[in-house]
Amino acid sequence: MNIVVVLKHIPSVADELPVRGNQVDFDSVDFVLNEWDEQSLEQAALIKEALGGTVTAIGVDVIGELDNLLHLALAKGADRAVKIAADDAGADSHRQAKWLSEAIRPMAPDLVLVGVQASNDIDGQLGPLLAAYLDLPYIGVVSSIEVQDGTALMNKEFAGGFGARYSVRLPFVAGVQVAPKPPRYAPVSKIRQIAQTAKIEVLEPSGEADSGLVFRKVAPPVVSGHAEMIEGSPKEIAARLVALLKERGLA
Amino acid sequence: MLSSIEKVVFVIVALIALGVSFHGFWMIVFTVRQGRPAPELKNIPGSLLRAAWRVLLQQTIFRARPALSAVHLALFFGLITYAFVNLFDVLEGFVAGFDLTYGGRHMTAIFLPSGVVNAFNLISDLMSGALLVAIVVFLVRRFGVRDRRLQFREQVLLHPKVRAGAQHTDSLIVGVFVIMHVTAHLLTQAFRLTEGPDPFMPLASLLNAWLGPSEVGMHVAWWVSLGWVLFILAYIPPSKHTHFFLAPINLGLAKQTPRGQLDPAIPLKVIQGQTFEPGAKHIYDLAWTRLLDAYACVQCNRCQDVCPAHAYGRPLSPAALEVNKRYLLKDATFGGRLQVLQQPLTETAISPEAVWSCTTCYACVRVCPVGNEPMADIVDIRRRLIVDGAPLDSGVQSALQSLATNGNWMGKSKRLRGRWAKEMDFPIKNALEEPVEYLWFVGDTASFDERVIPNTKMTARVFYQAGLDFGILYQHESNAGNDVRRVGEEGLFEQLVERNLQVFGQAQFQRIVTTDPHSLNTLKNEYPQFGGAFEVKHYTAVLVKLFEEGRLKVKKPLDHYKVTFHDPCYLGRYNGGFAAPRRLLNLLGVEFHEMPRNCENSFCCGAGGGQIWMSKVAPGERPAENRIREALSTLEKFPNGKKQLFIVTCPKDMIMYSDAVKTTGSEGRIEVRDLIQLVAEAIGIEEAQVVAIAA
Ligand code: SF4
Ligand code: SF4
Repeated sequence: MNIVVVLKHIPSVADELPVRGNQVDFDSVDFVLNEWDEQSLEQAALIKEALGGTVTAIGVDVIGELDNLLHLALAKGADRAVKIAADDAGADSHRQAKWLSEAIRPMAPDLVLVGVQASNDIDGQLGPLLAAYLDLPYIGVVSSIEVQDGTALMNKEFAGGFGARYSVRLPFVAGVQVAPKPPRYAPVSKIRQIAQTAKIEVLEPSGEADSGLVFRKVAPPVVSGHAEMIEGSPKEIAARLVALLKERGLA
Repeated sequence: MLSSIEKVVFVIVALIALGVSFHGFWMIVFTVRQGRPAPELKNIPGSLLRAAWRVLLQQTIFRARPALSAVHLALFFGLITYAFVNLFDVLEGFVAGFDLTYGGRHMTAIFLPSGVVNAFNLISDLMSGALLVAIVVFLVRRFGVRDRRLQFREQVLLHPKVRAGAQHTDSLIVGVFVIMHVTAHLLTQAFRLTEGPDPFMPLASLLNAWLGPSEVGMHVAWWVSLGWVLFILAYIPPSKHTHFFLAPINLGLAKQTPRGQLDPAIPLKVIQGQTFEPGAKHIYDLAWTRLLDAYACVQCNRCQDVCPAHAYGRPLSPAALEVNKRYLLKDATFGGRLQVLQQPLTETAISPEAVWSCTTCYACVRVCPVGNEPMADIVDIRRRLIVDGAPLDSGVQSALQSLATNGNWMGKSKRLRGRWAKEMDFPIKNALEEPVEYLWFVGDTASFDERVIPNTKMTARVFYQAGLDFGILYQHESNAGNDVRRVGEEGLFEQLVERNLQVFGQAQFQRIVTTDPHSLNTLKNEYPQFGGAFEVKHYTAVLVKLFEEGRLKVKKPLDHYKVTFHDPCYLGRYNGGFAAPRRLLNLLGVEFHEMPRNCENSFCCGAGGGQIWMSKVAPGERPAENRIREALSTLEKFPNGKKQLFIVTCPKDMIMYSDAVKTTGSEGRIEVRDLIQLVAEAIGIEEAQVVAIAA
């Protein structure tokens, strides 16, 4: 099995996002690993443990600090680490997908795993775009991938609480929602050891792509109106609710 | 007295017994030497002497269970006396004409003056009685009353032999030994008294009045008495009673570094050709001193009594850990079952769940009469579990991941660390930009937790009002790593230390102050090992100084409060910070009542050692709830209508106990306050003043 896992370094939303001009102020925000990528990395490691093979971790180095994430990936079971040195903090999913596809194609992967979405790519475009550029099928919002004789079985989640089980022939691109097990912890001593010895392959971004979107204005959402907290006994609360619904012509 | 044949037989049996005993102790030495190098011990003869003195005074056992300790005292001095008694019994048997009865009147040669002989006879006679009483008390306690403290809970991992009651068999054997041996000795003496009672041998005389003298009886009793001694000599090494010999030695070789300094994960001492993995997976991954712990363990369960995790109903018993270690080593060395040593400690000595329940409160180590360190083993086991990638509690894992990326465990952005300071109505210096006298190491909870930030601000205001020259590091501070280290993540701990030391290096300050006992502990006791030796003070100590210098003054004494005080483990037991908070309470004029468990014997809130990060909450009465009940029963003994407060001096305590007040339904009866809130009120800072700034 030749598995490629895509890692995205994205602005942390633990903090309020600082805005400068028409963009997030990337200089004054922390960058973190996309949390869904932790799931796809764990999924890749589990498949490798079951079947053997190699896991290649790859990502676009948007702020020059991707090495940390790649070391983490190596500590969690990846065998090879590749970065596309772009130094473009605002690179959108189209551009990243293009660069990634150019780097991944020569690797001839059996399986490409991406996090199903990221907080800077909530509609989960990276996976489908990448699949399109690689000319591979894509399946998203999946969990618990199991590979057997050239096909993979997995669960896919649909809106409204529905799920389905899919069987997909390799190779393909999958957007991972959740791994069968919680992502493992990589002890810092191991990461540090790897950081001293590991080789990271560096590629230049190649290929052009653009979403064609232009930011006209970026601003934090304006708070308007407040929620009314209804207090009192259950009876009083119910009465107030009914009154409110009537008031608004909903009942 | 003995016939020639008897003498020959005795010598042969004695040689065999001594040989077996010697072999047993040699096996113990051999086994202990298999352990890893321990941190260097200084002046070993000196500390062995000191330990001998403490054992002689039986000091260490009186830390708990005073009544039973007194009984042990009798047993201890009784057995010491009996060492001489046995010696003289042998002489009486072997040396013709050596006879101590009647002040040595019948001695054919003058061996000892009669005054000495009479004194010895009296002491040994009375001690015989004391021994019998003491051993009966202990036997009744174990087998009659079945003291629950001597038992282990169902969920605690136990060696099969222990589960099957091997410890009780051990105790029974020694109990029977003492009774038979002492009685037989008394009988020997009684049968010897051919001329009526000896006033210096009251018990023996009593028996003599009843049984009369007897040559045959004397021989039989002598053999029973000394036969038991020979048996017990051979029996001691593999039994729990090795503590007779090894407890004092272990106490002399006990931890010499500060309580708050953990042993390194990998021994510092380099031995040629040996490499070590961090922490402990197998029993021989433990330092040799901690293998010795297992032999020294009295199996008294005092450590279990004080363990907050045990009280909470978790499957952790520090005593069971030591006992299991002991039986494992015994299986290997005396039972030839070497393969048991290849099994991980988490399968043979302590369950993983128990390993993760420890709050690293140090109560077990503090109370142990023989200087054992079960907690240190637990941390070593955690260290290896982490390195080996064992499954972690999800809360712990995300805390650790956040610590690695953000430098705090709360998943907050670094930049937010100093936000509270920017909300004050006076500037708080950045110690990286200008020199300060006190570098205030704020810590995670006090920096980020909304429930604690008001106290942090209050502290800043009090410092400001006192004219203290202080500054903080804003976003450049990282978690100090105390709990990271105790959760076993040594690599991350080192990383945090490096980050902080680098920042400290860029700041100009004379000393460090912190409200957080956990940070205080590692900064003070562990950073020096990494090259960062600073004077570190808890804010309570700094406040005392400010009051003493007159820079803070009590404007209105707080006599309308009735309070009790909780000693945080990492301030009190670990760093001896008992006096300052009490001095402050005294200065503030509150009515203060001490809880039964205070100072060294304080009861952990349950948050330490990473417990506060755990995502799973086990059922049962949590330590903090237990503590709130203790506080209530303490304060409610003095009904007077004053407001009842539970005073804390640790940000984590603020959270743990505020929760516990709610979950025990004690709102309205008791309120949790940080000491700084009382100080602020007494010196005339209105709460509104501080809170208003935040809004
Ligand atoms: S350190 Fe505290 S919680 Fe841990 S085993 Fe000892 S007494 Fe129990
Ligand atoms: S470790 Fe110490 S306190 Fe605990 S049972 Fe053994 S001797 Fe007693």
